[in-house]
Amino acid sequence: MVALSQALLNGLVLGLIYVAIAVGLTIVFGTLRLVNFAHGAFYAIGAYVGLVVAQQAGLWWGFLAAPIAVALFAVVLDRVLLRPFYGKDATSQILVTFGIALIVEETLRLIFGSTTQQYPMPAALTTSVSLGAFVYPAYRLLFAGFVIVMLVLVWLFIERTDYGLIVRAGVRDRTMVQLLGGNIRQASTIVFALGAAIAGLVGAAASPIYSIAPGTGFAFLVPSFVVVVVGGLGSFWGAVLGGILIGELQSLTTLVFAPGANVIIYLCMALVLLLRPQGLLGESEVIRQ
Amino acid sequence: MTRARGDGGVRFAILSAAGIVLFPFLFHAINGYAGLATQILMVSIASIGFNLLLGYTGLLSYGHAMFYGGGGYVAALLLIHFMPDHPNLWLAVFGGTLAATALALVVGALAVRLYGIYFALLTLAFAQMIFFVVEQAEGITGGDDGIQSFPNALLPIGPYNIDLGTALPAFDLGPFGNLSDIKLWYVLTAVILYVVLIGMRALTRSQFGEVLTAIRENEERSSLIGFNASAYRLAAFAISGALTGLSGALRALYDGTISVESVGIDRSGSFVIYTIIGGVQTLLGPIAGTGIIMYLESVLSAHLGYWRLIEGLIFVAVIVFLPNGIVGTIRRNYLARVAKERAPSSRALLAESLRARPGGPTQSAGGAEAGPERLKND
Repeated sequence: MVALSQALLNGLVLGLIYVAIAVGLTIVFGTLRLVNFAHGAFYAIGAYVGLVVAQQAGLWWGFLAAPIAVALFAVVLDRVLLRPFYGKDATSQILVTFGIALIVEETLRLIFGSTTQQYPMPAALTTSVSLGAFVYPAYRLLFAGFVIVMLVLVWLFIERTDYGLIVRAGVRDRTMVQLLGGNIRQASTIVFALGAAIAGLVGAAASPIYSIAPGTGFAFLVPSFVVVVVGGLGSFWGAVLGGILIGELQSLTTLVFAPGANVIIYLCMALVLLLRPQGLLGESEVIRQ
Repeated sequence: MTRARGDGGVRFAILSAAGIVLFPFLFHAINGYAGLATQILMVSIASIGFNLLLGYTGLLSYGHAMFYGGGGYVAALLLIHFMPDHPNLWLAVFGGTLAATALALVVGALAVRLYGIYFALLTLAFAQMIFFVVEQAEGITGGDDGIQSFPNALLPIGPYNIDLGTALPAFDLGPFGNLSDIKLWYVLTAVILYVVLIGMRALTRSQFGEVLTAIRENEERSSLIGFNASAYRLAAFAISGALTGLSGALRALYDGTISVESVGIDRSGSFVIYTIIGGVQTLLGPIAGTGIIMYLESVLSAHLGYWRLIEGLIFVAVIVFLPNGIVGTIRRNYLARVAKERAPSSRALLAESLRARPGGPTQSAGGAEAGPERLKND
């Protein structure tokens, strides 16, 4: 019973990381129809910028610097390289963003080396909290709460602002939004930067739990694709549901039959793609790209 | 429709044969060693297969490592468990290729209904499943360590059992090395690659190839004409998987070891990189891309820790500046020049039309017509 509740909690924390990465992927896909294989790179850049700033100025400054730096990087990337690819087919987009992911990963390796690094943690955060039957690291609980707050803010942005309106409408019918005069271009830059900033922030915030190496971003990206596919490409709540489902599934499988933990999530992804390609909460129009 | 079939076929057959024969010697002159030449040719077989899917069929697979590593593991396991005393290279390679083909038929049957990102993600999902199964099934596959050694397979031809590690007789070739640098492995690989290359040329120029292209360009129209698009896609996927499995099986036997990276996501990405850099929709592009990247990797990674950064930069530069890849760009420029040279100038056309006027309309200049047609199809 103790093991089960611990696994459930671990699954939730892992799932929330997936959610936070997948939300960026999914809103960028929804607005720009861009399939971004470089999204994991945002996570990694955030993690390393956060690390450097945290070592110099303290953990909280690191958490502040990471999303800002990553958002700036995303804006430059959007302006300089990605613009011509927005209208192109999914294959070209996958290729160019895959190339960017490669360059970022190797640049990080060049600067920071291949070894895994640990975040400096204030003593107050390394404590554990008693949750009845077992103790749990305080930082993980803090992290979970923090991601939930962030998701609420993103949801408010999508639901309550004009940009959010364009995002939501763009998922349904991109051409119509443009015909009606919605400025998808400007909204797209903002959405792209926002998605990147979230990934960067999560990169910094999750790294005290999961250590960082240059390949960590891509390693988190691949399961995030599982999450987005299961939830439905382009769907906010799909990413939330998919992320928690996949996180729990992985964590519970580890408890029961550890070697199958990774296989099962890809099996899940394949089944969803074959039986319900638009995902659990996706819009069916999105499928035929 | 008007293109003459078999056009340049003999010339292609002779030039590509000469290229494959001369390659290791020219390669030696730029500090490439014969073993690397052999590996380049082996991996090129997979890249050619990958290009049939990406270039000619328009489907991006992000999981071809499952066929490459799958073929390799099956070949190795066959040697270990079924023929430890009489390791037969034909049987091992055939078994590995067959297993990869079967896997491609299963995955393909499911995947060809999907498009674009969904196709790429489904192939990725299957490849990841296979990767983690191979990684976890330590008792069979050696897990993370891979299989470090297996019997050296011999090639039975008639009464002889040939060890492919045997070198050719010594003969000094100056800056081009020595004939004895070349092992029989190179000879076998060269023959297989040559057959694959000629076969692929015939395939892409056959009706099958034309239907694939038609489906890629406009599936709806092709289906209305009566072609079963899914069946054509599946056939392309299976051939592609088979060639990739063949490549992986040969490579495993040549290396004498196989690691879990051979089924990994980076391996899948490498076929994408090789093919794009060389040029999709070209016969020689995948070979050129494989050769250039594997050569640079071998030369540079010894001195530069950041070789993969350079690889990434080359890849993105090619996508942005040379969307047709290196071979595709060269071909395009060459054909454009040929078309220009052959096309008569406007003055000549004017003169001709003036001359032709009394006798009624004449046929337009053949050279001018051949230009764009060749550009599209050759």
